[in-house]
Amino acid sequence: MLQALEGSQALAKAVALCRPQVVAAYPITPQTHIVENIAKLVADGEFRCELVSVESEFSAASVALGAAAAGSRAYTASASQGILLMSEVLFNIAGLRVPMVLTCANRAVSGPLSIWNDQQDSMAVRDSGWIQLYCGDNQEAVDTTIQAYRIAERTEVPVMVCVDGFVLTHTLEPIDMPEQSLVDQYLPPYAFSRALNPAQPISIGTLVSPDFFTEARHSHHAAMIKALAEIESADTDWQEVSGRGWGGLFEVQGPEDADTALLTLGSTAGTLADGLAQIPGGDRVKVIRLRCFRPFPVEALQRACAGLKRIGVIERALSPGQGGIVATELRDALEELDNPPKVHGFAAGLGGRDIPLTIAAEALRRMDSGEATRFAIIDVELDKLPPEDR
Amino acid sequence: MSSIYTRGGYALPSSSLDFKTGSWRTKKPVHLHAAAPCHHACPAGEDAQAYLALVEERRFREAWETLVSANPMPTVTGRVCHHPCETACNRSKMDSAIAIHNVERFLGEQALMRGWDYPMSPLPANAPAVAVVGAGPAGCSAAYHLRRQGIKVTLFEAMPQAGGLLATAIPHYRLPRLSLEGELERLLGCDIDFLPNHRLGRDVSIAELRTQFEAVFLGPGLQKPRPWNVDGAVPDDLHQGLDLLREWMHVGTLPQWNSVAVVGAGNTAVDMARVLKRAGVARVHIISHKAIPAADIPPEDTMPAIGREIFQALEEGVQIHEHRGVQRLVLRGERVTGIEVVHMKKLRGTDGRLRRVAFAGTESILPVDQVIPAVGQVLDATGLREVLHEGWFQFESYNGVLKQHNNVYVGGDARGDHGTVSEAIGDGRRAALAIAARLRGDAAPAEHKREPIGVERLNLHYFEPGDRPEQPMLPVAERDAETEIELCLGENQVVAEGERCLSCGNCMACDNCWNLCPDSSVLKTREKASDGSHYVFDYDYCKGCGLCAHECPVGYINMIDEG
Amino acid sequence: MSTAPEIRIEDLRRRQPRNSGLISGHRACLGCGEALAARLVTEAAGPDVAITNATGCLEVFSTAWPESAWTRPWIHSLFENSGAIAAGVEAAYKAQGRSTKVLAFGGDGGTFDIGFQALSGMLERGHNVLYVCYDNEAYMNTGIQRSSSTPHAAMTTTSPPGRERMGKRHLKKDIISIVAAHHIPYAATASVAYPADIKNKVRRAMAIDGPTFLQIHAPCPLGWGHEGDQSIEVARLAVLTGLFPVVELERGGIGSVLQLREPLPVNEYLKRQNRFRHLFRNDARATQELEHLQAIANHNIEFYGLRGDRPAAGDACGADTVRRGG
Repeated sequence: MLQALEGSQALAKAVALCRPQVVAAYPITPQTHIVENIAKLVADGEFRCELVSVESEFSAASVALGAAAAGSRAYTASASQGILLMSEVLFNIAGLRVPMVLTCANRAVSGPLSIWNDQQDSMAVRDSGWIQLYCGDNQEAVDTTIQAYRIAERTEVPVMVCVDGFVLTHTLEPIDMPEQSLVDQYLPPYAFSRALNPAQPISIGTLVSPDFFTEARHSHHAAMIKALAEIESADTDWQEVSGRGWGGLFEVQGPEDADTALLTLGSTAGTLADGLAQIPGGDRVKVIRLRCFRPFPVEALQRACAGLKRIGVIERALSPGQGGIVATELRDALEELDNPPKVHGFAAGLGGRDIPLTIAAEALRRMDSGEATRFAIIDVELDKLPPEDR
Repeated sequence: MSSIYTRGGYALPSSSLDFKTGSWRTKKPVHLHAAAPCHHACPAGEDAQAYLALVEERRFREAWETLVSANPMPTVTGRVCHHPCETACNRSKMDSAIAIHNVERFLGEQALMRGWDYPMSPLPANAPAVAVVGAGPAGCSAAYHLRRQGIKVTLFEAMPQAGGLLATAIPHYRLPRLSLEGELERLLGCDIDFLPNHRLGRDVSIAELRTQFEAVFLGPGLQKPRPWNVDGAVPDDLHQGLDLLREWMHVGTLPQWNSVAVVGAGNTAVDMARVLKRAGVARVHIISHKAIPAADIPPEDTMPAIGREIFQALEEGVQIHEHRGVQRLVLRGERVTGIEVVHMKKLRGTDGRLRRVAFAGTESILPVDQVIPAVGQVLDATGLREVLHEGWFQFESYNGVLKQHNNVYVGGDARGDHGTVSEAIGDGRRAALAIAARLRGDAAPAEHKREPIGVERLNLHYFEPGDRPEQPMLPVAERDAETEIELCLGENQVVAEGERCLSCGNCMACDNCWNLCPDSSVLKTREKASDGSHYVFDYDYCKGCGLCAHECPVGYINMIDEG
Repeated sequence: MSTAPEIRIEDLRRRQPRNSGLISGHRACLGCGEALAARLVTEAAGPDVAITNATGCLEVFSTAWPESAWTRPWIHSLFENSGAIAAGVEAAYKAQGRSTKVLAFGGDGGTFDIGFQALSGMLERGHNVLYVCYDNEAYMNTGIQRSSSTPHAAMTTTSPPGRERMGKRHLKKDIISIVAAHHIPYAATASVAYPADIKNKVRRAMAIDGPTFLQIHAPCPLGWGHEGDQSIEVARLAVLTGLFPVVELERGGIGSVLQLREPLPVNEYLKRQNRFRHLFRNDARATQELEHLQAIANHNIEFYGLRGDRPAAGDACGADTVRRGG
């Protein structure tokens, strides 16, 4: 049944449907509505959990880790500075191979201060060893949150569900909230095999010498690669029970035989599709929405991009001094193809700058024009900068 | 390394036991049962620490049994011993020595009061027979210990009663008759063939004894006064101290004198002086070469008499002239009317040897109508000549076996090398054990002296300060010839002494080592600890930090080099 | 010689009449006060606990993979989050309906400094956690750097004495007052020199459903500069001089304190440790610092009323009196 819900409210309900026993969070815009809604659900008795309102994101992640290590399903959410403050814990959670789910309401990272959306925060912790799934809309965010628990618990790798701050979290949309019974069936109660338990008192978080640290890292990396299959099957199985699927690792729109594609993450995909619909020849362009950024689905992308001549990557983050993060990784992934497409890197929509419908046309124009487009911030207005900083 | 990495790097509980930290060790702790100073110092061989531990738990009978395993007459020694155990007691460096002699006496009194019997098995039918000559402390002790060893004893005594000097020369206010008789009665009553009025050389000879018995123990004591004169002069009515004491003990009166000088500094001199007071002598002097004991005077310079007796004598009005010698008798005819005394001191001569030096110009006349030497006794050789060498016994020091006569043993004052009741009791015990070993065909027990543990090896922090109880004393005004002056401590007081005992060098199972080991390498066990402690070291993990040794209150743990 | 029955030491280890959470085979230095304190705490806390442990010596020396010296469920996450991890474990157990008590362990660095915020949050939210701070007064695991717990004038590698300095310039942070100011039911200090006191305090804290805190003074022979066999002696002197008051604070108010008979001069404590060696030079500044430390001890004695009216069995001299048979 469709309900008109704000993204954050829908996410809160989705979290509750997953029955985590412990939720720990610290408020940060634009994540606040999620935890406020959870708090209200708890206050109203609609959601039974230990809601721990901590004193920092660092502790939010730590409490969630403690809870998950103690065998409970755990949840936290944050954004921006909060993600960075908890980053030490994020690496730790993943390295200890403790499953949990975190919602990142994507937001720019300070300074200068910006409270608005881009994806610099989650991109900054891409090497933390978490699975990262990016959502195109709020319905997907709801469904992905439910899938995320299944993925995390089956792989023993934590999952970060990335939802564009404000753009999605604060937007009212009609949402089909799944029935509790459906979610319970899809996501059965979980028992963590390495839980802290006096009956089997293991020690977690030991000191590992150089003799074994390499193997620890290898095993984590291998687990991430193996997780690709779990991420795909989580979506397929969800589609089977709910009727909704989100493409697994990524979603592709447009003709099979296109020679041009645009690739993006999150809510920008909708903007690109709408923009392409307004330009001549736009229907000849593929749009690839990358859902799963970590692990990076190299082989699947190679298959999806084989035959393309060119591909533009539009992302809401960058690695200063290097350029597009996803673009670089994609270029590296496709380099193994016989005739790899040329990968053009674009950043756009940083710090909440609106991405207009014309962005698709502008990206294609630049890709056509032969302008150097290894990387560019596509919507930068250089005249706003002093000459020496342009 | 053959391990397989565990997901997330978890480890199983207690898996650290695979890592043997004992290999780090350069020093290791070991248990060392060092001698307690009290035990080491006791001439009778009592292990005061052992019975104090039992007293603390109010296990008085077991405490007494432990005590009498060394000394059969605790009510006697509890009164008359100079208790070197207390002088040695480490507790004296903390606050005050354990009142060991009081505890000893308490246990002895309990045994008499409750009629406890010595733990002793009946004599076997074919028990070997040993003769003991002299029923003084040495002979009684020898007889008792021989009997405990399953040996049939015949005890010969010249006097009509047993006890030797205890019966004839120690005044009743120091050693009440009932206590002595109680001890002797029990001792003689345990199947010992006691033959009083049997004088060696008159009624029986050494030769007979040596043929009729498998071994002979001689404890004849010193029966002859040491010859005494001043420049060859001897008063014609000279009374010897020991003879006068015996007369007093036997008759209860003494000649009427006004002023008497007792020459000597030992227990006989002090006893004599106090008895003279009781017999009505107005002025009693002790002329002593040595000093009255005081904290700052080395023990070898002080009067050999028991300190507390000296102070009681002073309390009772005896005048002690310390560092004095008699230089001349002032005679009127053959009778003494005074003595010329002079200040003296023991000083090192040019040859480096100590000798007494009289200081000219310090002479004075002390008017007295009697002078009584109490300068010691010598051996009466009657009946002993065949086993003497130049008038003295020649013997192996530890167990007293005679050098030329290997089935004859000597003990007590007759040895000539010591002269206290406790030493005599110790002689009797060691000789008895040597005789028993000999009769079994074993080698004689050898002296095994462990060094006593010093107070610096103890950790006094773990003991509460607390002074010893004051012994109740009869006020001077109430003292007479019979009433005992020093009274017994109560039960709670002796239990408190048991608690105060520092258990020097002997594990008291306090658990400190077990509690404080950072490496859990002290294991508690009664069964496995074969050394009397309750602990063993787990050398697989002990790193040798030494914490246990430092925190051991009693110095039972020693750190020794590994290897 | 021995007639004792042959008992395997492995069996003996298992049969010890105590249930230690930390056992042999850990790699602590010789005479480590922290290892001892942790064992005592776990013995008193019993087996139905889970432990969270901040990064530090205790964590490192106890769990060198694949080995662990713990016999309780135990987790180490990071340096600064022992309090928060404990809060999470506690929240999970609460949600699961379990009564297992959570113990949070940290050193002074992980408690006074970097983990201070997580600790405060845990206390404020009222988690049913006993937080134990093993206070060895510096960052020992990284090689003896000063922490906010390092005593005034002590030498560490980052507070060395020199021509311009006499060791640490600042004071030891009064963590127990700060913790107690959270108005928690029970906060206490203890010393490894008084094992029975530690155990009693742990038992008290275990019985409280709410946040409790125990700060245990635990000498580090390496960092303090004394031999390993002196650890207890040194810890005891810290108490007997008044420099480390052993106190209980209930709902922020002073409860019982371990009273002193005649407080010892602080020099008795200081002179046994190389970290205070520079204070015993012939130097007016050194004398002044010694006087300063004595004044701090005097203040502690006055503030907590440490001076007893009369000797008592439970005071600092009587509390560790030994008896035959333990």
